[in-house]
Amino acid sequence: MSAAYDAEFIVVGSGPAGVSAALPLVEAGRRVLMIDGAQPSPLPSTDAGRPSWQRMLGAELAALRPDDGLSPKLRTPVALDVVGGFRRWAEVSEDKFFAAGAMARGGLSQVWGGFVSEFDQDDLRGWPFGADELAPSYRAVGERIGISGSTDDDMADFYGNAAPVQPAPPIGPTADAILQRYARRKPREDFALGLARNAMLTADRGGRLGCDLSLACLWGCTRGAIYDARQDLAALQRHANFAIRDGLTAMRLAPALHGWEVETAPGGPPLRAQRLLLAAGTLGTLRLVVPLLKVGKTVLRLLNSPLMAMPLLVTRRLGQPPATRGYSLAQLGFRFRYAPAPGDYVTGGIYETVALPPSSFAARLPLGRRAATTVFRALAPAIAIATVYFPGRCSANLVTVDLTGGAVRLGLRGDVSDDFDATASLVRRRLNRIWHGLGARPLPGATIAVAGTDAHFGGLFPMGLDAAQGTSRFGELNSAPGVYLVDGALLPTIPSKFTTFTIMANADRIGRHLAGAA
Amino acid sequence: MAPRLVVTGASGYIGARLVARALAHGCEVVALGSKPARSTVATVPWRLGEPPRLTAFVGATAVIHLAHDWASDRLNGDGPGNANMVGAELLARTMREAGVPRFIFASTTSARPQALNAYGRIKHATEERLRALPRSDGRILVARIGLVYGGPERAQYGLMTQLARLPVLPMIALDREVQPIHLDEVCDGLLRLALDPPAGRSPVVLAGAAPVTFGNWLRLMRRARHGRRVALVPMPLGLALAGCAVTKAIPFLPTVERERVLGLAGAAPMASAADLAALGIVPRDPARALADCRPARRRLIAECAAMLRYAAGAPVRSPGAVIRLARVVRDDPAFCTALPAALRRWPALMRLFEPIRPSMTHGLSRRLHLAAMVVESLAGAQAAPRPGAAAVLRELLLEAVALPFRLVLGRVYS
Repeated sequence: MSAAYDAEFIVVGSGPAGVSAALPLVEAGRRVLMIDGAQPSPLPSTDAGRPSWQRMLGAELAALRPDDGLSPKLRTPVALDVVGGFRRWAEVSEDKFFAAGAMARGGLSQVWGGFVSEFDQDDLRGWPFGADELAPSYRAVGERIGISGSTDDDMADFYGNAAPVQPAPPIGPTADAILQRYARRKPREDFALGLARNAMLTADRGGRLGCDLSLACLWGCTRGAIYDARQDLAALQRHANFAIRDGLTAMRLAPALHGWEVETAPGGPPLRAQRLLLAAGTLGTLRLVVPLLKVGKTVLRLLNSPLMAMPLLVTRRLGQPPATRGYSLAQLGFRFRYAPAPGDYVTGGIYETVALPPSSFAARLPLGRRAATTVFRALAPAIAIATVYFPGRCSANLVTVDLTGGAVRLGLRGDVSDDFDATASLVRRRLNRIWHGLGARPLPGATIAVAGTDAHFGGLFPMGLDAAQGTSRFGELNSAPGVYLVDGALLPTIPSKFTTFTIMANADRIGRHLAGAA
Repeated sequence: MAPRLVVTGASGYIGARLVARALAHGCEVVALGSKPARSTVATVPWRLGEPPRLTAFVGATAVIHLAHDWASDRLNGDGPGNANMVGAELLARTMREAGVPRFIFASTTSARPQALNAYGRIKHATEERLRALPRSDGRILVARIGLVYGGPERAQYGLMTQLARLPVLPMIALDREVQPIHLDEVCDGLLRLALDPPAGRSPVVLAGAAPVTFGNWLRLMRRARHGRRVALVPMPLGLALAGCAVTKAIPFLPTVERERVLGLAGAAPMASAADLAALGIVPRDPARALADCRPARRRLIAECAAMLRYAAGAPVRSPGAVIRLARVVRDDPAFCTALPAALRRWPALMRLFEPIRPSMTHGLSRRLHLAAMVVESLAGAQAAPRPGAAAVLRELLLEAVALPFRLVLGRVYS
């Protein structure tokens, strides 16, 4: 290897995909340089001593600045920082779309919901490889991040069984009431319910502590129970053949002799490697890859999972005391098949609301503030929120790319497929009936979120697509050999399942392939 | 060595602040005339129109001439005997004899030969006399100062703050354009002229770069300071001048100077943006600067405490919470809610004013939303007892009673 290279591999981005691709390379002794637009940020474990208002509002009160109607998860100080930094860098214009990306150490994993599920053979239809090729990577990544849930309920097989699973933490009383009703009723083919499967430790492991049910998940787990890519980064940094450059934002990729060069900002040196691995997050990678396609203007298709939130009132829980311990990640997970074709199902989680801020719910009730807060706080022990994710093909977002004049201009327009409205209302109606049967009365106010807030992206540069914007089965960009994509940008399709775990497993798979290649 | 400044009118509205800022800047100050209050600066006794003692100017970098003798204006008008014109010229001649490099003369944006007010005509005539002095170029600098606001409530600004208390205000010249500039900006501009003047600029205009009508200025002042609207009643000039005479005759009314009325009536804007830029002055937002006063701060704190109380349903005994809410509300572009005193006193009445259609972006519903978030973020908020069925019923009943009120009153702060 020539000294003209800064490393064999440059990985752009420190999120779940970046660390997953880097780990097998580093463990195989390859020289890897990671660049990250953000400065190192301490894990939330250092937050434990801060006053509660600082954790919930931010030292600079960021959470109190204008509310654009986002979910409570995206309104926390950490989320505003993580997502806000990205939106400033990417300079994309948004139309009925929320450009969720991260310019932060650890990427979106700082604020993710922790839901993990493996894609099965049906989910991988249209992919250039099958489930058996992903299984070893699911296992490796699962072992690393720590997963808890059930291995013997109705959802266990659906979530997959390649990765090891710790026992689930005790679920809250509201979720428990629903699950008990489910256990007693006649099984049906189209609907399954079980414990959620989360990347959350219930037993201590390594430097991370198991969940202590402190109800504070939303503002950053101070015990490190919930997986955060910064934990893997710490492991990577113990290797001598791994280095990370902080605060360097990749701006442009250019071919160099036998390799690639990354131009960085602000005023950073160009960095060279034989191969580049892009893990900047789907939208970040989009911004870096588009100039390599050498088109003036073009339009790309971007998949996301349209997301519906349904508030439920578990009548049995009315008047009961609220849980004083618990966690605010999903407690239950479900799958509902709305049509016979293999991909025609929706999934989602059921969340308890006791640990969520009442203000964000009270604001949406058609009552005065005092009455709304009182009513919500009285009802909260009986309220659950079901999130429903639709398959990626229900989305019809467009990315307009304009490279004329040397600048990169990206426009994101959120849209849904022609049959989505019909599908959504069918799903809503039929799920409502199912919730009813489980003792959970659907409340008015079910909403479809702005496209992009789900942050389940894919379909931009599909693996196995034989076109300029396609990539090989190992993510190598057809129009730029030596540039590998390892994040959500290369998923050929996205089912209704949560994508992060699969993105990580696929990055691991590509990392292993490159580690083994000459 | 610290630069030495000789200041006349050092006890006045501008002078006192200028001296304080000059001292903070590391300058040495000699007050010529009366001593600024609570200051320890060296003072050389002197009266405008008298020849000053030469020793006062030894080693000085500049003379900043702010003093103005209103009595002489009344006595002599703009005739040649006016102490202001004679005094300024005497001062300028003496300082040149003493070898002081610069003389800064505080003039006005109403300085015009045909100004309606004697003050404008006198300032203009004085400018002319100073300019006629031999070798005055680059040594005698004229600063034409606009409508100064901020700082202690004295002088013209003091009068305006009093006017801003009135809910109904008969006023002349509502459509005349004035150029408000903050007191600190004026002082910094004068100091820059004295210590390091940009070349080739005299007269410089120290006045707001974007003129506003006087009516809008009064509205802004009332809104920022008291959070209220003002009903401005246009008034003919003749009536206003008659009114000036009346205010003088009746005790305990704020007297309105005829001169000030005429000054307003004759106001005409002068371009100032280039001068401000050359002096390195970045004007602050007047709405925000005006709100940085005691009544506005007190009102804000009281309002935030009331909103927190309403949102929490119980008194919030955390000063930190009040301050956090106040910080955000203060920085909100749609700043003013200005709840009536009754709502501050009995926050429960806010229920009657809540808009039917809540908005997360402005108005009372947004404020209450923020207040609720602040309440939730307090330690122990999670553990607060859950309301029972009785509390819910009571709230819903009250809600039903409040509904007709909200339909009408809800529009006030929506």
